[in-house]
Amino acid sequence: MDLIHPAEAGEVVDAVRSGRRLLPVGGRRHMARRGAVEVDAELWTSALDRLVAYDPAEMLCVVQAGMRLGELRAALADGGQEWPTDEPDDATVGGVIAAGVDPVRRLRVGTLRDSVVEMEVVLGDGRLVTSGARVVKNVSGFDVHRLLTGSLGTLGVITQVALKVRPLPAARRTLVTREGGLALGRRLLDALRQPAAVLAEPDRIVVHLEGWPAEVAEQEASVRALAACEATEEPPVPGVDTFPGSPIVVEAGIVPSRLEGTLAGLDAYRALSGVGLTWIPCRDAASAAEIAARGEAAVTCRAETPEPSHRERTALEERIRVTCDPGDTFAGRT
Amino acid sequence: MPDLDAVRRDLLAALGPDGVGVDPLTRRLYARDASLVEGDAGLIAFPRDAAEVQRVLRIAAAHDVAVVPRGSGTGLTGAATPLHDALVVVTSKMTRIIEVRTEDRLAWVEPGVFNLDLTEHLRPLGFHYAPDPSSQQVSTIGGNVNTNAGGPHCLASGVTSAHVLALDLVLHDGALVRLGVEGPLDPGYDLRGFAVGSEGMLGVVTAVCVRLTPNPPAVRTMLLDFADVDDCARTVSAIVAAGVIPAAMEMMDRGIVRAVEAFAHAGYPTEAAAVLLIEVDGAEPAVDAQTAAVEHAAAVNGVGTVRIAADEAARALLWKGRKSAFGAIARIAPHYHLHDCVVPRTKLAPILAGVYAIARRHDLVVTNVFHAGDGNLHPLFSFDRSVPGTLERALAASDELVELCVEAGGALTGEHGIGLEKRAFMPLMFSQESLAVQACLRDAFDPSGRMNPEKVLPAGARCGEFAAAAMGRAGALPEGTWI
Repeated sequence: MDLIHPAEAGEVVDAVRSGRRLLPVGGRRHMARRGAVEVDAELWTSALDRLVAYDPAEMLCVVQAGMRLGELRAALADGGQEWPTDEPDDATVGGVIAAGVDPVRRLRVGTLRDSVVEMEVVLGDGRLVTSGARVVKNVSGFDVHRLLTGSLGTLGVITQVALKVRPLPAARRTLVTREGGLALGRRLLDALRQPAAVLAEPDRIVVHLEGWPAEVAEQEASVRALAACEATEEPPVPGVDTFPGSPIVVEAGIVPSRLEGTLAGLDAYRALSGVGLTWIPCRDAASAAEIAARGEAAVTCRAETPEPSHRERTALEERIRVTCDPGDTFAGRT
Repeated sequence: MPDLDAVRRDLLAALGPDGVGVDPLTRRLYARDASLVEGDAGLIAFPRDAAEVQRVLRIAAAHDVAVVPRGSGTGLTGAATPLHDALVVVTSKMTRIIEVRTEDRLAWVEPGVFNLDLTEHLRPLGFHYAPDPSSQQVSTIGGNVNTNAGGPHCLASGVTSAHVLALDLVLHDGALVRLGVEGPLDPGYDLRGFAVGSEGMLGVVTAVCVRLTPNPPAVRTMLLDFADVDDCARTVSAIVAAGVIPAAMEMMDRGIVRAVEAFAHAGYPTEAAAVLLIEVDGAEPAVDAQTAAVEHAAAVNGVGTVRIAADEAARALLWKGRKSAFGAIARIAPHYHLHDCVVPRTKLAPILAGVYAIARRHDLVVTNVFHAGDGNLHPLFSFDRSVPGTLERALAASDELVELCVEAGGALTGEHGIGLEKRAFMPLMFSQESLAVQACLRDAFDPSGRMNPEKVLPAGARCGEFAAAAMGRAGALPEGTWI
């Protein structure tokens, strides 16, 4: 397997035009989401790691895609700010965006896709394209960067992004209750209105709070009024890392009102209350498949006529993929 | 040219006489949106549900006629202005709130629901729909989705795209697709994110799944006045630098304050050079902390007085001043041209100085009322079209304004869109190659090119030419490739 280490966007263009099949690689933290692909070379973004521009007063930060989150966090902390993600320090900015992983704390800090305001990307035929602008609000033109966010490297190589950042909270607090269950998770969510995260497990709830000091103190009192709990230092860990002992962890996006029915009978799960993102440890591939099917059945409640066409949507996605990568450089053809 | 009589016959058969507009008055009414541009509407269709939209688009496809989707027509850029006798598909009869599911924090609505009606419907349930464009009394959710509408309260909570989880879209050939998902994981490309703000060029939106936001337990609204515009602009940056993202932070200069006072009697200080209307919300202690930080940032930047609305009536009055701005400017002159560019917020002060200089140079009255926290300017040139040469001066001033903002690192539009009005400026922001990719992606949704043609993308940006060039580089295309 060849390795390519471009240090600037022009070198990415050259690599893409070389005719080889490529797998863009950031911090290798989210490779499992893409699954196995056959390529001629891996294109590592690790040398594309510069901080391009950062002015805290603009609440924007421009970085190359290969920058590690740990480095970004340190740079932004100097300005009293953060890019809202809860992925690990050795993940890269481009990798997190390509994987489209939302922060665990999304109820408070928003989604990943809304934090990417500008993108420079090399498409599968070598076109270097920019999309968006370095301002916090912009509706000029079609947002190509929206398609790249979460595209798992099948459309192009993200080389640079402008990120919307936000103030670090003045206070943070994590509480773990002694009882668990989805119903208690829901009660806590209703009582807190704007927690950072409420993670429900069968036998405990992890509540992440952040905000102004007096606000967090008030929220902590609300939690304690509903359930006995202890304060911990547990960070808001992404779910797939939650069950280190388990061979397979299924990640399912379940509509919150269907959580209880979908997770009935399971003795281990971790569910983000009010959001529905759920992680379930599985012993083997068969039980994982069964759980994944249950999850897929619970992504929506609405069944209206006329029914939207799944086939048309798949065809549309394929036309978009071919538009960006006509020669299948990124081996995304399905 | 399509045979409009044949299209009319087919539409009448599909929708009945109530569903089709053919008379000259109706055609005139739908020949424009709220911009200065007038077009030509060939026929107007008023479908009542998604199935009727599908029927209309199949008829349009059969007759090869262009389609312009339209809500209330409050758009300011000509995006809903039909050209060359296009078929206007108006969604104003699709007004069902299909379902509200507070536990899932979402609601499905048809595109013709008015923005404010949705929020009023949700209020007793303890929720609201966050984007609040100034047109919210009459603008529709479908129109808001197509323009990716903003509003004063988008500073903290984000614009429309942050509040749309999914949408149903009828494509050029009548196929219905759902983009996005209700739940937290979309396994495919973010087609929803690409479609929000696509100005009707991908299809007709027939249902929207919106995110519900819990109503904040406490809200505080403040009016700050300044003797100096620069101090006011600097206060905006200082508040953000202090770690506060207010729910809303609106700036108004003396010209607009005086117009508003004469009109709305909201108690605004007419002697101030500029005022800031700031709202903070959240839990009570969070509101207290943010208020203190705002007052401190304003004090060190030369604020005159800080008035805090004592009750809901006082708060409503302060907002009445802001929201009546566009009614009030009619008192200055009969016509106006409103802009929407965005600049880095630390450059607000020099950009505003530049805006005043442009107005002076072209002998125009300019007033400013805008979303300062986002750096989203709304300079408003007032003029009387009946005075010869005035419209030309207003348009020349507009060109200079757009260039000023883009040169400062800004964007052409923060919330109104590109439409017809700004498409010629797109090359200021994007390379030819980037524009061609936008055109190709649009074609992936609509290979026919009949969905709202000649909007957003500048005349030269076409997918075909560019795809040919790319092919030349890449060699032969693999089998099954779509161009």
